[in-house]
Amino acid sequence: MTQPETPQLLPGTLYMLILRTLRGGPLHGYAIARRIKDTSAEVLAVEEGSLYPALNRMVVKGWLKAEWGTSENNRKARFYRLTAEGRRQLAEEAGEFNRLVDAIRLVMKTA
Amino acid sequence: MALWREVAHRFSYLLGRGRFDRQLQDEMRFHVECRADELEQSGMSRKDALAAARREFGSPARASEDARDAWQFRWLEELLSDLRYAARAFRRNPAFAFTGILCLTLGIGANTLLFSITTGLLFNQPSSRDAATLAAIRIGGNSHAPVSDYRFLREAKLFDDLAGINPESQMNWRNGDQNRSLWTTTVTSNFFTMTGVPLAFGRGIAEGEKDTVVLSNGLWRTRLGSDPAVLGRSLLLDGRHFTVVGVLPDNHRTIIGIGFSPDLYVPVQKDDDMLMLYSRLPRDMSLAQARSRLQGACRELDRLHPAGGGWKRTNEISVSGVTGIEAFGREMLMPIYAFFAMVMFVAGLVLLIACANVASLLLARASSRSQELAIRLSLGARRSRIVRHLLAESLLLAALGTAAGLLIDIAGSAMLGRYRLPLPVPIQLVIEPDVPLLIYSICLALITVLAAGLLPAFKAVRGGASATLKQDEHQTGRVWNLRAALVGGQIAVSVVLLATGFLFLHNLIRATTMNPGFDVDRTLWASMRLVPESYKDQRKQELLVQSALERLESLPGVESATAARSVPLNDSIMRGEDMRTDVGKQSRNTMFQYNRVSPGYFRTMGIPILHGREFAYADGQGSPVILNQAFAALAFGTVDPVGHTMWAGNNAPLLVVGVVKNSKYLTLGERDRPALYEPYFGAAEPVNVNFLIRSAASPASLARTVNATLMQLDGSAAVETKPMSGALGLALLPSRAGAAMLGSIGILGLVLASIGLYGILLYAVVRRTREIGLRVALGATPAQVIRLVFGQSLGMVAAGTAAGLALAWLATRPLALFLVPGLSPADPVSFAAVVGVLGAVSVVAAAAPAIRALRVDPMVALRYE
Repeated sequence: MTQPETPQLLPGTLYMLILRTLRGGPLHGYAIARRIKDTSAEVLAVEEGSLYPALNRMVVKGWLKAEWGTSENNRKARFYRLTAEGRRQLAEEAGEFNRLVDAIRLVMKTA
Repeated sequence: MALWREVAHRFSYLLGRGRFDRQLQDEMRFHVECRADELEQSGMSRKDALAAARREFGSPARASEDARDAWQFRWLEELLSDLRYAARAFRRNPAFAFTGILCLTLGIGANTLLFSITTGLLFNQPSSRDAATLAAIRIGGNSHAPVSDYRFLREAKLFDDLAGINPESQMNWRNGDQNRSLWTTTVTSNFFTMTGVPLAFGRGIAEGEKDTVVLSNGLWRTRLGSDPAVLGRSLLLDGRHFTVVGVLPDNHRTIIGIGFSPDLYVPVQKDDDMLMLYSRLPRDMSLAQARSRLQGACRELDRLHPAGGGWKRTNEISVSGVTGIEAFGREMLMPIYAFFAMVMFVAGLVLLIACANVASLLLARASSRSQELAIRLSLGARRSRIVRHLLAESLLLAALGTAAGLLIDIAGSAMLGRYRLPLPVPIQLVIEPDVPLLIYSICLALITVLAAGLLPAFKAVRGGASATLKQDEHQTGRVWNLRAALVGGQIAVSVVLLATGFLFLHNLIRATTMNPGFDVDRTLWASMRLVPESYKDQRKQELLVQSALERLESLPGVESATAARSVPLNDSIMRGEDMRTDVGKQSRNTMFQYNRVSPGYFRTMGIPILHGREFAYADGQGSPVILNQAFAALAFGTVDPVGHTMWAGNNAPLLVVGVVKNSKYLTLGERDRPALYEPYFGAAEPVNVNFLIRSAASPASLARTVNATLMQLDGSAAVETKPMSGALGLALLPSRAGAAMLGSIGILGLVLASIGLYGILLYAVVRRTREIGLRVALGATPAQVIRLVFGQSLGMVAAGTAAGLALAWLATRPLALFLVPGLSPADPVSFAAVVGVLGAVSVVAAAAPAIRALRVDPMVALRYE
């Protein structure tokens, strides 16, 4: 099975993508990865090897809260929920990111 | 905020690590299964789907390692695991661990104990409320001021409050049919309220009270059987009733410091008392401000109540703090620092030896483990990680050693605290482990870790993996040399310690056997303290003393009895006068020992009379004096002074009636001092009477009879009788303390150095097993093998000893101050003893390794190759 070439995630954007994805409600790790892939029209793929370390780091920082629950297919799964701190972080990172992207776009257009 | 939460999260992780790992596994398995479900739906078999999902996921081990990283305090965990590893290593090699911990325990124990004693002695923190605003006041350069001055200054309201104390007075306590002389500190009745001295129970003396008493914990415990109902009890002191109102706690430290510890506090009774003054300064008043206020008040006092002889209170006024080093005058600072430095230096040497031992142990371990370390290096362990791992071992050693050393210190200081020093004043050290001590020992532990651990740790990783792996244990010559140097250095340092120890031991022997110039074997000393109020009339006291002497002399077994103002080597009076004689010499200022003695003193004390005679009872009218040889030579030169006249200052002429042999007055080690005796009777005498009794047989059997005889004369007097030989404690104290302290440190050093020597020799033999086996196989005789082992040990010992003796020769020079005359710091006897002891110890230390070398089986040894 061949995987389509996926572009590397921009460095530092993984946290932001996870936070954004969780804004709609708690999800488990697999669903987060799935959701990012789906919404980016299969362009962005989160590597599993970096997803779980990232999730744990975010829990340690207090942006997320992890709870055990039952998944849609009746399995025990760990759900991540956005905390108030996490929302603040998302707003901050999204703002930063938008400014950066706008700036890059500007340069690409004019130069 | 965020940071704190993060730290808290990480700590919660530390506690529940196992659960976390399980959950992470579950979570990742769930992920793989979800992916597999998806793949299965797209048509794969379950087995293929699972395998594909796993492949996609990558290494779960790595993911979980990374995830765990997010939670960990990495260094802390590594430290914990290093410590666990070290603890396991210690369990596997208990001899190594035991020796190392023992060395550090002794080194750190000695250090902290000395530290506790020195700080307890020198840096007093008096028990009181807010000691920082208390200040000691001296006016006119005098330590004590009369009660009238105290009243004036207190009424002047210069400070928040002013109190006076007279720390050194005595009272007779009537307990049943016994009288006991107690050490009392008389205080103005505001003393307790001003200082806020904490009490174990009860209260302090209240303002205006005259007949209340506060007991020391020691008195309450030892003499009143820890009576819980002691408050309100009445004590009969000097014939008056006092009510107990409070008991001080065990750790009470007086405002005087240096371990001074009276039995009781009572209010000042008489207006002619002399008081040391202490003030409570307002919070914002500096010592300089306090001094200038005091200056003004004293000027006023000088004007209103001038003191005689041109002496002015304003001559010298000082206000100084009462805590720590401040409590000492500026002129005392240098000797105190010097003493402190010397003690710490000596103790530091011991710690140095201990550290050298541990370093040498760790070095041996590191070099015998070089293979293991090389393997770890080649498997990719970071060097810093290995160094940290080796350091963890020494950290564990240091922690255990410090803990054990602190226990020694606590036990030792508790033991010392129970012991009242054999001095004529009540000195009892209150030594408690405190915060500075804790900091000090932690510093020691850290220094030890760095000193003993770093070197071996770096050595162990320097060689590099491949070199060590290939070369096995052949090329460890540098490590060996380093260890030999360490042992040599240790021996040198312990030679210095031993030499000082032996020097003081020799000094003690000399001092004990030194002739004080009077007889101590057959003399008894009975001290009788009379209640001052009953003897206001001086004549009454003289009558008592005379009848006491008559009764004592009539006792069977008593050859003679006499009374004296002071007992030599226990207390003394020093006087300085302008002396003039009738042989025409110029008057000259002379410092001399002064004593008043009754007829028969020289006979009783066994001091030979060279010319002239003793005092006689008929001498009362004239002014006869007796001189010792030194005084006679100083004042009269070669002329026989008997029959000549001399003058002290502007006083009446003194007729010399006798010259006696020199004896010792202050210390046994002193050079001959001039001394002058006057008759006991005829001048005002204090209420402490000293009887000296010469017995025909052993003096100890007489003590009870003497006691009873004196008690019959005055039932309110406190009497204590002891053989003179047992009363030389004060005179021998410096030599005893020096010998005990430096002797035990020397022995400690020797023990540590021999452990080191033994360790290195044993290690050397183990390492050379192959070589020795080869030699035996090639026909070496046991004698040759022994020579091999001993040669190595004696070489090290000889080099270390030579260096040590040279060092000791230099280091002991300043000690001349403490030694009896005729004993040189470079005492050949002590130095010879050091060499002898070290030689013997090194032979013993080498014996076990030598025996081990003899037992080497050539077959076993050669099979290694």
